[in-house]
Formats: sequence, C-alpha cells, structure tokens
Amino acid sequence: MHAFIDKAGPWLRRRAENVIVGLFAILFVAFLVQIVFRYLLNFPIGWTSELTIVCWLWLVLFGAAFVVRESEEIRFDLIYYAVGDRTRRVMALVTGFSLIGLYVVSLPAVWDYVTFMKVQKTAYLKIRFDILYSIYVVFVLAVLARYAWLVHQAIRGKAPAGFDAEKTGSGL
Amino acid sequence: MNLASPFAFSIYAIVFLSLLGLPIGHAMIGGSILYLLLVGQDMGIAAEQLLNGLYTSFVLLAVPLFILAAEFMNSGSITERLLRFCDAIVGRFRGGLAHVNVVQSIIFAGMSGSAIADAAGTGKMVQAMMTKDGRYPPAFAAALTAATAVIGPIIPPSIPIVIYALVSDTSIGYLFIGGIVPGVLIGLAQMGLIASIARRRNFPVEPPVPLRDLPRITLRAFPALMMPVVLLGGIYSGVTTPTEAAAVAAAYALAVSVILYRNLGWADIYRSLLVSARTTASIGMLIAGALVFNYVVTSENIPKALSLYLKAYEFSPLVFLIAVNVLLLVLGCLLEGTTILLIVIPVLIPTAEALGVDMVHFGIVVVINVMLGLVTPPYGLLLFVMTNITGVPLRDLVREVLPFLWVMIGALAAITLVPDLVLFLPKLMGYRGAP
Repeated sequence: MHAFIDKAGPWLRRRAENVIVGLFAILFVAFLVQIVFRYLLNFPIGWTSELTIVCWLWLVLFGAAFVVRESEEIRFDLIYYAVGDRTRRVMALVTGFSLIGLYVVSLPAVWDYVTFMKVQKTAYLKIRFDILYSIYVVFVLAVLARYAWLVHQAIRGKAPAGFDAEKTGSGL
Repeated sequence: MNLASPFAFSIYAIVFLSLLGLPIGHAMIGGSILYLLLVGQDMGIAAEQLLNGLYTSFVLLAVPLFILAAEFMNSGSITERLLRFCDAIVGRFRGGLAHVNVVQSIIFAGMSGSAIADAAGTGKMVQAMMTKDGRYPPAFAAALTAATAVIGPIIPPSIPIVIYALVSDTSIGYLFIGGIVPGVLIGLAQMGLIASIARRRNFPVEPPVPLRDLPRITLRAFPALMMPVVLLGGIYSGVTTPTEAAAVAAAYALAVSVILYRNLGWADIYRSLLVSARTTASIGMLIAGALVFNYVVTSENIPKALSLYLKAYEFSPLVFLIAVNVLLLVLGCLLEGTTILLIVIPVLIPTAEALGVDMVHFGIVVVINVMLGLVTPPYGLLLFVMTNITGVPLRDLVREVLPFLWVMIGALAAITLVPDLVLFLPKLMGYRGAP
C-alpha cells in the first residue's frame, strides 16, 4: 500500500499540476481574447468573463484540494513550528479530528445544496450549476482524505514537516 | 457580548484551531460550520457563501494575474537590465548598491504586486551583488532587501490593495494611484537613512557609469520601464478595467521576455504558470474561508455594533487612525497580512466610514501597516524569506532591520497625519473624496 502510494503519488501530483496550469492558461488567454474583442474589434463578448471566473473557481478549489502542499498553507505558525515534534503531533491530531468532524457533519447539507443547484445554468456557457459547483464536494472529500492521512501519520509517530518561509503561499 | 453564544463558540473554535496550526482558511470554514450547527441554520450555507462568493468576486482575478506578471518578469532578464539601469543612476553615491536596492524596489514596485516575490526575485540578486567580495555586511544587505521589498505592494500594482478594494468596496483605480506618493516617500526615507549609515560605516562607492552610456543603458531597460505606463495607462485612460490591466501586464511581461529579450522558453512559462497557480490556490483558500466567516460576522451584525459603540465615544478620525495604526502594527508582529486584511479590516471599515475617514486614505494606511508587518519580528514573512535565502541568523537580521522599521514608521505617521500625501494624485484624477 505505502509502496504504491510512494510511486503513484508523485505521478498523480504532476497530473494535478497539469490541471491547474491548464486552468490558469485558459483563464489568462480568455482575458486576452476578451480585451482584443472588446477594444480592438469593438465587439464585446460575455462568455470570456464567465470562462475566466469558472476557471478561477476551479483553480482555487482543485488546487487547494490536490496541489497545495502542507508547507504552502497559510497558517498561524508562531506556535506550530516552535514546539517539538511530539507536541506538534498532538496538535495535528486535535486539529485533524476537529476538521474531519466538522466537514463530515456538513457533508450532507453540502451535497443537498450542490445538487439543488441543478435548477440554474450559467448565463453564457449554459453550464449547470450543480456540475460547476460539484468541485466543492470533490474539495471536501479530498480535504477529508488529506486530514485522515495526516492523522494517520501523526498516530504512527511522524510529525508534520517543519517550516519553509519561501514556500509559503502568501501573495503579499 | 455573550461569552457562551454560538458566535462566541465559533470564534473560540477558529482561534483555537488556528493557534494549533490548522490552515486559517480551513479554521474559518470549520468555525463557521460550527456556528451554523449551533444556531440550527442549514450548513449548506457555508458551501453557498463560499461558492457564490468566489464565483462573483470578479475583481479578485487580478490577484493571480499580478502574481503571473511578476513571475514572468523574474524569469526573464528584465531584472538584470533594470539593475544595470539603477546602478547607472545611483551607484555613484556612497553606499551606492544600497541605494540601488531602494531604487530597484521602487521601479519594480510598478510591475509587481507582491513583496515576497520582490524579495525572492530581484531582492535576492541585489543582495548577492552587495555581499560579493564582502563589500557590505550580509546582515545589513539582507535587512535592507527585506525593508525595500515592503515598497512593492504600496506602489501599484498591488495584491493587498486589490484585497482591500474587495473588502471595502473602494475603487481600485483611485487606491492604486493613491499608493504612488506614499511608496516613493518610504523609499526616500530609506535612502536618507542609508546616506547617514553609509558615511558612518564607510560603505563603498560603485565605479561611476559614464553619463554618455546612460542613454544606451536606459534603452536596454526601456521596455521593462514601460510596464507601469502600460498598466496604469490602461486603467486611467479607461481602456481596461484593473483586472484586465493585470492580464495586459502579464501579457506584456511575457511578450517582452519572449519576443524582445528572447530568454523565456516553454519550460519557464510552464513553471511560472505553476508557481502562480499554486500561490493563487493557497490565497484563494484563505479568501474562501473569509467569505464564509464574513457571513457569520455579518449575520451577527458585529461591524455595525462596533461602529455604534465606538461612535458613541466621538473619537476624532485622527485618534481612530492612530489607534488603527497601533493595532495593526501589533497584529502585524503576530499574524500573516492577508489574514489581517480579510478578517480585521472588514470589522473596522463601518467605524472608519461612520467617523468620516476617507476610504482611499484609510486603505493606503492599512496596506502600509500590513506591509510593515512583514518585517516586524517575531512573525515577519520577509525576515523569514531573507534568512532562508542568505543564511543570516534571524537575530542579526532583526537588529539591522530595526532602524529601517523606525524610519518607515516615521513615514507612516506622516502619511497618516497628512491625508493629502495619499489623496493628492487621486484628486487630480477626479477623485471626490469621502462624502
């Protein structure tokens, strides 16, 4: 099992990276198409701005679910990285169980909301909102899996990794 | 406030989970779910707020695009050409490279919206130039690089300004132009300090670049120097929205690097997209958490209540602004800046409005505070980045950065006391000011 994860993990991670790079590239190009059409050809089109915002939504949630590493998360790390491995393991257990509990409790309501949105479609591309918003369900499931893994690691005695400022995801 | 109310429990949960190191975005979503659970509301509201919030915040798209523009800039040779240009202008003074460090930050600030990106990109290069052959003490060079990177997001484009515009509903265009004078002012304050330190510590002078070479060096850097013109020109002429201007800026940086300077391949482009997409996802997560939590705060009417409470004391706007400065500088020592912008500022905005504080002035003051938070110990991301890059111990770095921090706080005080330092340019462009 672990050997399989060690091998498949990096491969899957690269594919997930391909996905967010693709989404970002589409977002970027759609913006440029929009500007060209509106200002150079004097022919405003609406679907490009819809496409950009769809890509942005998916980029954030897909990226947060599958690409962002633990070391890149924005967290209050003054205490987290100051304590020893043992304490950090306990902290990881407490936060992991709390988050899993809260996300699991909300999952049925999330499912109801997303499936309910099938009644609406986006204005230009006519994407059904339940399909568009389904990424949130994927996101919640991925977060549950990630935290289950972190809790599992903490129980087995492996503390979460240390701090690397250059990798932090802050955009400031 | 009731200390056992659902809202109080939600706050406890968020603070507790954040202190234990849960990513803040998740802590806010989790705390909000707890709130909905306790008050018996539909927990699907959390999903609704998050999804609809992200789907309708069109202005936020500027954030990934500004990150991308800076990435393209840093991967090409634009940086190196700009450094040559800065050296030709200020290298001839005592402490020349230190002045170069400030000037490149001011120029680069007109292209990049992120201080961390500046420090890790151009900052890293200029820091290496300064410490080559032991010309400058490494701790001084690293501290200076951290301090000058602060200017980046004060001068437009700016990621924190975009986030402030989102939470305060203020015009990005006026905020951007309002940041120019304060950003330059902070740079000048730093150069004043360098001039005095340079004499005392006898810093080296660069061999002066002959003035007749200046046109050639300027020409080589010219396409890069035009970037702020393209960006701000697009916004102020009304040709593009700020978000579209961000896309144009990224496209311009890409075009200059690929076509003109011919040093950006497919692999670099892919890498730039990936780095930007990663950062986008992790900030996006924080924003998503704040969107959900804002629902809780709004349904509890907190900002309004605070504004009524504070208004009863009849503070003058100035007293309020000074209090905000102190509060934000203290919070900046402990918290990451985006978190402050997304959580603390929305609570303060109704009070600022009620007291008649100008929202553009307030925004720039807030952003400067948040940027100073990046160099204030114990938690200062720029300090951490510079220790990582240079290996200078944090203690030495902090000692060298403190004088810079003081002059920057001095500049901040001036900007707080004299709103026209911020508002002069926006008013020229037709800004009418607070109602």
